[in-house]
Amino acid sequence: MSQPPRLVVRTLAVTFVTLTRQTLFFSGALRALVSRSWQRWTEVTARHVVFRQCRTVTVAIILSVVFVVLTLDARDRVRAAETEKLRVAAQVFTMVETRRQQDQVAAIATLAENPTLKAALDTYVTESRLLGPRPDPQLRNTVAREAERLAALTAADVLAVIDTQGQVFASGGPLRDRWAPGQRIPLSIITEPTFQDVVALPGGAFRVSGAALALNDDRPIGALVEAVSLDANYAQELSNFSSAGVVIVVNDTVVARTVSEVVARDLAEAGATEAVRMLNGEEYAIGALFSLGPARIYTLSSIDAAARAATRDAMMALGTIAFGAFVLAALGSFWLARTLTDPIDRLAGEMEVMTAAHDLRPTLRPTGTSRELDALTDAFNELMRGLVAAEAESRAAYLGAIRALAAALDARDPYTAGHSERVSALSVLMGRQLEIGDSELDVLRLGGLLHDIGKIGLSDEVLRKPGALTSEEFEQIKRHPALEARILRQVPFLAPHLPIVELHHERPDGRGYPFGLRGEDIPWPARIVHVADAFDAMTSARAYRPARAPAEAVAELRRYSGTQFDSACVEALLTALPLATTAPEPALQELLGRQLV
Amino acid sequence: MVIPHAVRRLVPALAALAWMATASPVAQQPAAVVGQVDIGIPITTRRPSTPYPTRAVPSPALAPASERRHVVVYLREARPQPVAPMRVSMLQQNEHFIPRVAAVTVGSEVDFPNDDPIYHNVFSLSRAKNFNLGRYPRGATRSVRFDRPGIVKVFCDIHSHMSATVMVFDHPWFDVPDEDGRFELTGVPPGDQEITAWHERLGDTTALVHVQTGRPVTADFVLPVPEEGR
Repeated sequence: MSQPPRLVVRTLAVTFVTLTRQTLFFSGALRALVSRSWQRWTEVTARHVVFRQCRTVTVAIILSVVFVVLTLDARDRVRAAETEKLRVAAQVFTMVETRRQQDQVAAIATLAENPTLKAALDTYVTESRLLGPRPDPQLRNTVAREAERLAALTAADVLAVIDTQGQVFASGGPLRDRWAPGQRIPLSIITEPTFQDVVALPGGAFRVSGAALALNDDRPIGALVEAVSLDANYAQELSNFSSAGVVIVVNDTVVARTVSEVVARDLAEAGATEAVRMLNGEEYAIGALFSLGPARIYTLSSIDAAARAATRDAMMALGTIAFGAFVLAALGSFWLARTLTDPIDRLAGEMEVMTAAHDLRPTLRPTGTSRELDALTDAFNELMRGLVAAEAESRAAYLGAIRALAAALDARDPYTAGHSERVSALSVLMGRQLEIGDSELDVLRLGGLLHDIGKIGLSDEVLRKPGALTSEEFEQIKRHPALEARILRQVPFLAPHLPIVELHHERPDGRGYPFGLRGEDIPWPARIVHVADAFDAMTSARAYRPARAPAEAVAELRRYSGTQFDSACVEALLTALPLATTAPEPALQELLGRQLV
Repeated sequence: MVIPHAVRRLVPALAALAWMATASPVAQQPAAVVGQVDIGIPITTRRPSTPYPTRAVPSPALAPASERRHVVVYLREARPQPVAPMRVSMLQQNEHFIPRVAAVTVGSEVDFPNDDPIYHNVFSLSRAKNFNLGRYPRGATRSVRFDRPGIVKVFCDIHSHMSATVMVFDHPWFDVPDEDGRFELTGVPPGDQEITAWHERLGDTTALVHVQTGRPVTADFVLPVPEEGR
């Protein structure tokens, strides 16, 4: 059989379902807003039943407004941040670059003091004046080897020696092929002591730092030039440095870029007159990183992309918060449900214990968590108190009636007057000797009182006959336990006493009546009452004989111990007898004072 | 000195022709060419600029008083002659070669004494004489013998601003002007001759002279050559 779900489960389920439905709706609506899909928005909202309620519409409108404001605000911030980032990057780059160029110029000026280069170039110039412009190959090799060595030292792409005509005499470095001997370098300032420029060669654009090679006078004999290729690697380096896109433009032509070709071309055509500009349909923040000769180096970063990222981050944060709130709400509802159900559980547990013990006397403790529950508990306690009192009252009335009945029965025969009370009292004493429980003693007490109630059905002639009974009369007598049982079965409340009244004439040897049960088959209370009944009968006077002395009765009981009487009960009687003679008869009040379930 | 072979052959032929045509013993006598070399622009001497502080060595003195000493006047297209070797000294002083320009005959030896309290080196990458004397201290002298005609640039690999020029001739008709710029080429063969004045930096110029028997011919030079439509 399936049990109904517990209250806490039901509460949790209700809270959870509500929360989940709301969350799913709002997250769907948010996703629709983020992806700016109106169709999806209407789908989501139409699917949501609650949406038709005005409340949700209001919430959705507020949500949309918040989202739009958030997006616009994020975009503004991103635009400002990107522009500022590029500005700072350009500033830092300018600083670093200025310093680097100083260092580079210093380095190249130092290298220009190289005696081999100077000597070789001067020798070449002097010889070519006399012998024509065909240099000594050995001389050129010497210079080329020296240039190679210096290029390796300075990590330059190219290190070249240029004569006063602007022609390459010899070059070294990884890209020396683009500075082949004899190639004309379009530099107009090579006669300056040091110079910097950008040159566009067929093999690519180069940033050059140079120093004049001069002997001991003011007329330079040529120049030493260190060149850095403005290629994709250089652009990538700058891009890593500024964490933005880089476009290198020389003579209005894009020579290197880290952004798409279209964007780079747009930028080259437009130039960087503004900090923010539309390129290829997207908004870009643009910074001018470097400008020298015909070269312009720009950094740029897409505001749209950054804004998308920022919005996505904000949405992630929002989602995390929503999830956190969801979890918190779930935990909170669980806690709330527990605070509600825990006291109820406790009360139910206590009631269960009371019911199992058939003890209505303990009161339920107040829960202290809610006034409603405490009121309920108080009412229950009051009810139970009334119930207990009523039961005690009705029980007392019942016992009184039974007692009166037993007394009336005993009074039919003057010889048996007080017999039932005595048997009852003696049985209780014997029961105590046999160390049986309190509730059993109560059963014994009442059973002793009721044990002869069946005699109500015997005629006075049989009951009070002074002489010996005929077998027919004895058969009549033997029927009284069955009669008693029949009477008591009418009263469910007396069911525990039934074995005593029905079986108190059974004998251990199986020769008793009405069933002839043997030994252990006879219940304890019945065996006890049997012995007590026999003792009281023997020590009471009868119409046909005087009362016998207790000692005589005891001897008689001993003689038949184990056959007619249960031996343990006889022993108990012997132990209890001294107490019975000294202790007063148990009062009716004491008997009635006990409240039994 | 390297001169195109065709020209080298042509000149003696022409000379022989002239000799046969005149057939005059007077005309066969060589004569002197004398003249004056002037420098048309002021020349200052300066250390190459450098971003670093100057070194602890004292600043080199200015160039010798007269740039005229840095000129070599010689007979161009002269036929090689057996010449007597010379011995010339080129002193290293105050991070300068003194003199900066020397003209010698083939087979001559040039001494390079070091007069500075520092090491110097003497080397050359020139075709006519490629050598490296290594580094040596004050008081030491090393020498080089020049066996081929031509122009030899001499440097110090410690002090890259130091340079000097040695011109080696396979004939005797050359001279370095004195402080005043005067020079004299003696015993120049008669006839039309090309006289060149060569300055190590200011370029060179050539004058055509007609050498006649027994009479000194005058040739004056101004360097650098004034620029015309260049």
